Amino acid sequence: MNNPFKPCWKTILLILGCWAIAFVSQAQNTDSTKQESSSDEDFSMYDNVGFADEGARRYCSPKIEGLSPAKLISVGYDFQAGYGLGVDTFTNYTNTWEPDSARVLNSRGLRLGFNIPVISRTNLVWQMGANYWEQRYFMEDPDGSELKTAHPLLQTLSENGLRTLGVSTTVFKPLDDKRFLLFQGSADLNGDFSPLGLMPLKYLKYSAALVYGLRPNEKKQWGLGLARTYRVGELNYIPVFLFNWTDPANKWGTEILFPARAHVRYTINPRNMLFGGFELEGQSYRLWNTNGTPVKFRDEDLEIRRGEIRLRALYEFSLKDFVWLSVQAGYRINYRYEVDRLVDGQEIYRAFGLLSDAPYVMENRLGNPLYFQISLNLVSP
Amino acid sequence: MKKLTLFLMGLALCMQAFAIMPGDDGDRLLGVWEPSNGRARVKVEKIGSKYYGKIVWLKEPNDPKSGLPKTDMNNPDANLRNVPLKGYRMLKDFVYQENNQWSEGTIYDPLNGSTYSCTIKMTDPNTLDIRGYIGVSAFGRTDVWKRLAVKK
Repeated sequence: MNNPFKPCWKTILLILGCWAIAFVSQAQNTDSTKQESSSDEDFSMYDNVGFADEGARRYCSPKIEGLSPAKLISVGYDFQAGYGLGVDTFTNYTNTWEPDSARVLNSRGLRLGFNIPVISRTNLVWQMGANYWEQRYFMEDPDGSELKTAHPLLQTLSENGLRTLGVSTTVFKPLDDKRFLLFQGSADLNGDFSPLGLMPLKYLKYSAALVYGLRPNEKKQWGLGLARTYRVGELNYIPVFLFNWTDPANKWGTEILFPARAHVRYTINPRNMLFGGFELEGQSYRLWNTNGTPVKFRDEDLEIRRGEIRLRALYEFSLKDFVWLSVQAGYRINYRYEVDRLVDGQEIYRAFGLLSDAPYVMENRLGNPLYFQISLNLVSP
Repeated sequence: MKKLTLFLMGLALCMQAFAIMPGDDGDRLLGVWEPSNGRARVKVEKIGSKYYGKIVWLKEPNDPKSGLPKTDMNNPDANLRNVPLKGYRMLKDFVYQENNQWSEGTIYDPLNGSTYSCTIKMTDPNTLDIRGYIGVSAFGRTDVWKRLAVKK
């Protein structure tokens, strides 16, 4: 008698065989981690193609080839070596304090930055950011003894330091494949406030820049515009010049938004870059804190107009993948550290003396120290 | 019994074939695409059940210094720096999910030699939002790619 199961075993084995052949065939197809050789493929057929959607347009990119990567998150520390600080006579509504001076052993503080792309489209790029900077002053008397000043400005700088807390936005609007508009705006609270004792939002300082630019090729973009800025300490409206460029060999380049910053870049490789140049830093800092001084600053409408030029060398490199370290060292040159009284919050616009010669309440003197800054950054794709 | 055996074999092969047969929704990604910077053209192909994109055209195909075809000179792996950029798979391992989205893939940027996590969203039949990111999607950048077709 024939075994009724014998044909079934054959059937099952045949089916399993078919499955195995098919499975191996598919598994071979999915091994796609290897790079293909291009030598045996004719790529010329891709020369003569155009947009499938005939209404589609090309727009220029906000970046050019070779630029240093944008920072999404930045955690840094700024350190200025010792220098002398002399403050002017200060008269308020009841008292007068004579000029005084101190030795700043060092001034230092955290610098935190956060940027996030909100919209990334071909025809519009919008980014939002936030930042927190602090500068704390460690002082002694000029003779090397403990600081014993009675001057309110030295007292609040020593006790409270200066801080900036702000938000910013950047909008890149390409007009076509060559022309673009770039807008940058920021709102900052600047003052001697403590991190837990913020000043009212009415003291926000607004800065903005609008640039019309051209991007003639992948390695160059330039533009002209106008900025409302506090970078020289007090409010100014100044022209700005953008010039980003990379040489054909991708070794040398410039990253310039003059007068805010200008750098020459040398690219060792795309993960190692050296820079030399300057940055203009500054803000108008409201004196607000009563900690450590008898003067009730918040009734005085005083602001420190701080502007400084930082001549510097930078080295930025990838520690691992998208984590970059930025190290810079240079010379901090004081441009302005005067104090203005903004009666009823009324801004003073001098236009470098062309529109007003209103005197400062205090004309202070700062030495120029060496400085050092380091930051750890998460960079953008 | 022979007929039954043949029928079952045929059924097994058909089922396997359907698993790799093109024609599902994800295949709308197939074709040639141009990134927003216009520097390259990328052909998306399907291998197994995943999607891959290789560079098939470069605006500047040759290295300006040597005059030779560009290679992947910024690759962190020194062994791959001589691989020609034409034919290089810069999109890898994408799996079609639903709602015109492909994920689980990576995108490689030959300009800096970095590989990013990536998702693809088809916003219309001729437009892709390609989002490269680091860790979480918020830390990323979206580029818009356009479908290309042979000029008439």
